[in-house]
Amino acid sequence: MAPEVFNLAQTPITCHAFSADHKQVAVSLNSNDAQIFTRQGAAWTSTETLSEHDKLITSIDWAPNSNRIVTASQDRNAYVWQQTPDPETGKLIWKPTLVLLRINRAATHVRWSPKEDKFAVASGARAIAICSFDPENNWWVSKLLKKPIRSTVLSVDWHPNNVLLAAGSADMKARVFSAYIKEVDDKPTATVWGSKLPFNTICGEYASPAGGWVHAVGFSPSGDVLAFASHDSSISIVYPGGPTIYNIRISSLPFVTLTWTAEDTIVAAGHDCQPVVFSGSESGWQGVGSLDDSTSAKAAGTRAGFGGNSSVGRLNSAAFSTFRDADTRGQSGAGGTTDTKLLTVHQNTITSVRPYQSSGGRVVKVSTSGVDGNLVIWDADNVSAVAGRMGGMRM
Amino acid sequence: MDTAFRKIDIDVYDEDVLQEEELFDADPRDPNQVLDDAKQRQGAVRSALARSDVVGALNIVLENAPYGPNVEEAKTVTLQTLLTILNTTKSTEIPAVIKELSQDGQDTLMKYLYKGMAMPGWGDISGSVLLGWHEKLTEVAGTGCIVRTMTDRRTV
Repeated sequence: MAPEVFNLAQTPITCHAFSADHKQVAVSLNSNDAQIFTRQGAAWTSTETLSEHDKLITSIDWAPNSNRIVTASQDRNAYVWQQTPDPETGKLIWKPTLVLLRINRAATHVRWSPKEDKFAVASGARAIAICSFDPENNWWVSKLLKKPIRSTVLSVDWHPNNVLLAAGSADMKARVFSAYIKEVDDKPTATVWGSKLPFNTICGEYASPAGGWVHAVGFSPSGDVLAFASHDSSISIVYPGGPTIYNIRISSLPFVTLTWTAEDTIVAAGHDCQPVVFSGSESGWQGVGSLDDSTSAKAAGTRAGFGGNSSVGRLNSAAFSTFRDADTRGQSGAGGTTDTKLLTVHQNTITSVRPYQSSGGRVVKVSTSGVDGNLVIWDADNVSAVAGRMGGMRM
Repeated sequence: MDTAFRKIDIDVYDEDVLQEEELFDADPRDPNQVLDDAKQRQGAVRSALARSDVVGALNIVLENAPYGPNVEEAKTVTLQTLLTILNTTKSTEIPAVIKELSQDGQDTLMKYLYKGMAMPGWGDISGSVLLGWHEKLTEVAGTGCIVRTMTDRRTV
């Protein structure tokens, strides 16, 4: 099935989070307001605006069971939004609760824990705030994971046991921490990451051979495997028991976001503008293909860029051909070569890929949002073969 | 408006600042040993080139290439050795040679190409030779290879 493409805005979509019923989506349109869009047939219309932050909202997460939204922003704050009836009209409105983050730099990423009783806020203050609710004072309090983070934390992801947290950081490391909060959590059972887990235990620290900021981290559905994408155009899969790290270098631009769709499959996306699927097991991993099917009509009649067999999405555009023709054949841009559309569905960097719909323990659809203002829902099993545009992709 | 404050290096006032050396694992070898290695390789590369074994010569020079601080001389020797190989290879042979290299070899080669292009006029650097290799290497290894060159703090 072809992907569903929705253009929400002419501005970048910094992040997106769907409600549990998929009828609503919260996005940050590169501004200090979070917009809630509601689906009406085939279109999305902006129905509500969550205004409280005074700088860019960097990340949003929508808890599926408790129906609470958490937003994190460069203004160093996070708010938890809950639907409550307005005392006068009785209409449901989103009411913010301030979170005491105690960080002195921007908040960069936020995710609810699986049980939705905690959330983690990554920040530029070399710290991750683990937040839990304090009913006495009616606010969210935080405890900071600090050691041994040396730079901005760019992404976080929770282990299914509600205690362990993975974090990717600009100091070139992906780490696994214990985010155990005595007042909230039951004593965790032992996992492959460790058995004794007081707060701020470091269960693992990993890096890609060529380094690079770790843009995205993700635990596999079982929580036994960790994947991270770094700025050296590679994705690494960590088996802590091994200890084995599979590092797959790709031939195109770096990924900035990833999600597991099953215990053996990962979807990653980023500056290459297309979601790429990796699959494997403890015995090895490899790139499988792209969710972006390039064999459709729009690709026909376009010359491959950069030397004939390149697979690079961004360069595979008419704009590139225009300059190449001007260079090699002395042709100037006459005759329909002014089309600057990329061959990919997304026309710019993909900022976020998230699971959209599951069936039988597998994620069957994923959603992506991009700098091009598009929100796309992809069929996660519809992988176009490596042979096509991925021909030059070296795994 | 006074904008001079923007150029103040605020990191010097930060006691806990992230140092360059913390960003990569240091080379475990002793600097003198690295230099000896680099010099020995010069001979090995020459004999490989005499057999017109370009791939072998490149593998010798690209494997365990010196990186990090305190090995400037070894880096210079290695660059010099590599340039001999690049300058003597026929342009028609380049694509086949590059395909024979390992991923590590390709990534390291790209680092040296950029190092060479940053030093115009040094030694027997020829811009057109480097650009020729760069074009062919990008065709095989993609833009990802260039991204890794720019990202990797283990500079050669």
